[in-house]
Amino acid sequence: MAEQKKVKSSLALRSWKKLVRNKLAMIGVVVAIAMILASIFANIVTPYSPTKIDFANMTKAPSLQHLMGTDKMGRDVLAQVLYGGRVSIYVSVVGAVLGSVVGMILGGLAGWFGGKVDSILVRTSEIFLTFPNMMLVLILVAFVGQGVNNLIFIFFITGWMTPFRMVRNEFLSLREETYVEVCKAFGISDVSIMFRHILPNTISPIVVATTINIANYILQEAGLSFLGLGVPVTIPTWGNIMNAATSIDVIRNYWWLWLFPGLVISVFVLAVNFAGDGLRDVLDPKQ
Amino acid sequence: MLYYFMRKLLAIIPMLLLISVIVFVAIQFSPIDPVNYLASPDMAANSQNLQALRQLLGLNDPIYVRYIRWLGNMLHGNFGYSIVDGSSIAKLIAMKLPATFEISFAALIISTIFGIGIGILSAIKQNTFIDYLGRIIGVVGISIPQFFFGIILIQFFSIKLGWLPVGGRIELGYKTWWDHVPNMILPSLALGISMTAALLRYARNSMLDIMSKDFIKTARSKGIPEWKVYIKHAFRNALGPTLVILAFRLPILIGGSVMIEAVFSWPGIGAIILQGVSSSDYPVIMMTTLMIAAAMLIASFLVDLIMALLDPRIRFER
Repeated sequence: MAEQKKVKSSLALRSWKKLVRNKLAMIGVVVAIAMILASIFANIVTPYSPTKIDFANMTKAPSLQHLMGTDKMGRDVLAQVLYGGRVSIYVSVVGAVLGSVVGMILGGLAGWFGGKVDSILVRTSEIFLTFPNMMLVLILVAFVGQGVNNLIFIFFITGWMTPFRMVRNEFLSLREETYVEVCKAFGISDVSIMFRHILPNTISPIVVATTINIANYILQEAGLSFLGLGVPVTIPTWGNIMNAATSIDVIRNYWWLWLFPGLVISVFVLAVNFAGDGLRDVLDPKQ
Repeated sequence: MLYYFMRKLLAIIPMLLLISVIVFVAIQFSPIDPVNYLASPDMAANSQNLQALRQLLGLNDPIYVRYIRWLGNMLHGNFGYSIVDGSSIAKLIAMKLPATFEISFAALIISTIFGIGIGILSAIKQNTFIDYLGRIIGVVGISIPQFFFGIILIQFFSIKLGWLPVGGRIELGYKTWWDHVPNMILPSLALGISMTAALLRYARNSMLDIMSKDFIKTARSKGIPEWKVYIKHAFRNALGPTLVILAFRLPILIGGSVMIEAVFSWPGIGAIILQGVSSSDYPVIMMTTLMIAAAMLIASFLVDLIMALLDPRIRFER
């Protein structure tokens, strides 16, 4: 057991070294983490409150006091971006992780038991995949309503299919391996074989899929809130800040109200995508 | 071959029925009672009137009877009515479909030409400047929110340069179809470029995948000119997986893009969907969904068709 651990950690170490050598991926990881930290410690980074209305300072262009300017109610845009990041990142990370966990469990069950369980779950995932993703999200918004937790729920409902299929297919092929038979012969329980002996083999592609889902959910939250259908407008999120740009007056006259939040969203998603691409290169054993 | 296609075609029917059941149930269980908006207020004051109306409309029948009636209505082109303004959904869709089709078609063409073109070029010139440029376009393209890109286009081309209108579509008072074009350019461009990135990445990857195969080495060692290797050997094989992505994009022709249509206030199907979701107009949402799901099923049939035409091994499997 001790020896096994050692081998494992050295593999992790090798992967880590590979990741460090991949410059773009490293930049992605560093930028994403920096932005997450800036959001978490928003109250230290900026003295302003994202929701405090200040009629003396309405729609001020960027200056040293307000680095990203202020909006139509005098709220500091930088503070909104920082605090908004908390909600946006929280929603997409939790949504993506939940989707992956549920997808993995269902995929494991389907691949292990096969038969009826498998065909029902596969059919269900096929029906979900028949709808374009954005459409599915919008339907669910219509039925579930808006809100932070509702959005997380919607993301996980629409995101479990890819991890499910990955894990299921992996289970189907690994189920026949000799080591699984050996486990069975030792009398190890089904649950233990499934989750301790087969599942770890499927982790790498799932990690990559989760990363890519995080990037997609950031974009979806931004899009939905931009349309006024995501998180209620009273809570600052990256999409809600962009919501101001639905009026042509804002696009024309107050560029800082949409350019900065738009750039912040793009840079964060870009960083996560770089990290995801890098992870794929590192974790893919075929490379 | 024919047997294979028939089987695939027939497989669509149960799927479509299943989705129609889901859609029907979703409309039934939506929190709004259709009787309440049909009856006038003074009529609704008496609950007996409402009961009579329910009886008349057949709303008291068992659910499977109502489902079959609903299905029959749809086959006759009656898609039901909006619960917000009572307009016919079939008419609404028919009216908005051309607008969506225009920009989606233009966007599909733009994204296909640039996506496949740059993707293939990027793969052929791997690790050169062109490849880096292609890869940057690919990853930046999937990272920028669609609406943000649309706003940048509006700011630059409409407001700064004043070349093109900021949005909307000329519905009345145009002489020829060409009068539409100035309004069409920006939304088509925004949608097209945002769709390019994913295709570009995909085309590049599948081309690289093929280029590392042994038969490419064989072709080269036979002394075939390099361009011929790329076009006749590599591209033809890389085309299959790329066509699959394209086929799955066809439903956008009737579904449109909610985001782009909102940014450019384009009156298409996406706008109907957005309107429906914002005003909880469940019948409208579900009928457009059904339409898009049907298009998606047809697209996946097309994928099977393409794959079978390109790869004889698939055709003969049972």
